[in-house]
Amino acid sequence: MSFSSALAIAASGMRSQASRISHVSENIANTDTPGYRRKTVAFEPDRSPGATPGAVITGPVRLDRTALPQVYDPSHPLADETGHYAGSNVDMVVELADARQAQRSYEANLRVFDQVRQMSSSLGDLLRR
Amino acid sequence: MFDTLDVFGLAQARARHAAARQEEVARNVANADTPGYRARDIIAFEEAFRATGPRDRTPHLSLRTIDAGGPESPNGNTVSLEAEMVRAVDAQRDHNRALNVYRSAMNVLRTSLGR
Repeated sequence: MSFSSALAIAASGMRSQASRISHVSENIANTDTPGYRRKTVAFEPDRSPGATPGAVITGPVRLDRTALPQVYDPSHPLADETGHYAGSNVDMVVELADARQAQRSYEANLRVFDQVRQMSSSLGDLLRR
Repeated sequence: MFDTLDVFGLAQARARHAAARQEEVARNVANADTPGYRARDIIAFEEAFRATGPRDRTPHLSLRTIDAGGPESPNGNTVSLEAEMVRAVDAQRDHNRALNVYRSAMNVLRTSLGR
């Protein structure tokens, strides 16, 4: 039935966007954690058995391999003999843009979900006199 | 019009076409951020229905999917959320229209039966 699989696909999109934004919030919370590497997830087709064809899922979490910035702060407990320590490679602007994109995609999925629901309920209305 | 009840088959085919199209929209929107995903669409209704002909007693639709085209983003994805919204509204309108035709034909039948 095409309505139920359309609903399942839209739900898989919302689930993936939600998992993406949870990683974004994790990154933002750890902006000032020394040595923290930004986490990213890529989307890929859901190929698990029983999944609706075309559904989407988030792939394995990857760490951003950009070099960690060396922050100069001799009073920091982690500072080495030159007074530097490794900061995190989280870029706030990138994270905010990512969060906004996730929100936009989530809303698009939600709209599709709502529209499919409306279509299937108007189909059901045919049964009433 | 009512000797073979073609109108019901036609309305049903149109509604099924719209539902299948809406499913493709859902798939495209869900994959809007999947690298390498190509947006898809269903062939136009005229084309899908002409393949079998309206004289067929049980009209069978060929709901073939095609590449929807569109510009490709750097990660190889061709989904445009704006285009998908337009397509979704199109599908919904088609579906509603088909259901309304079905309902009004049903009302005519009911009236002729005196119920």
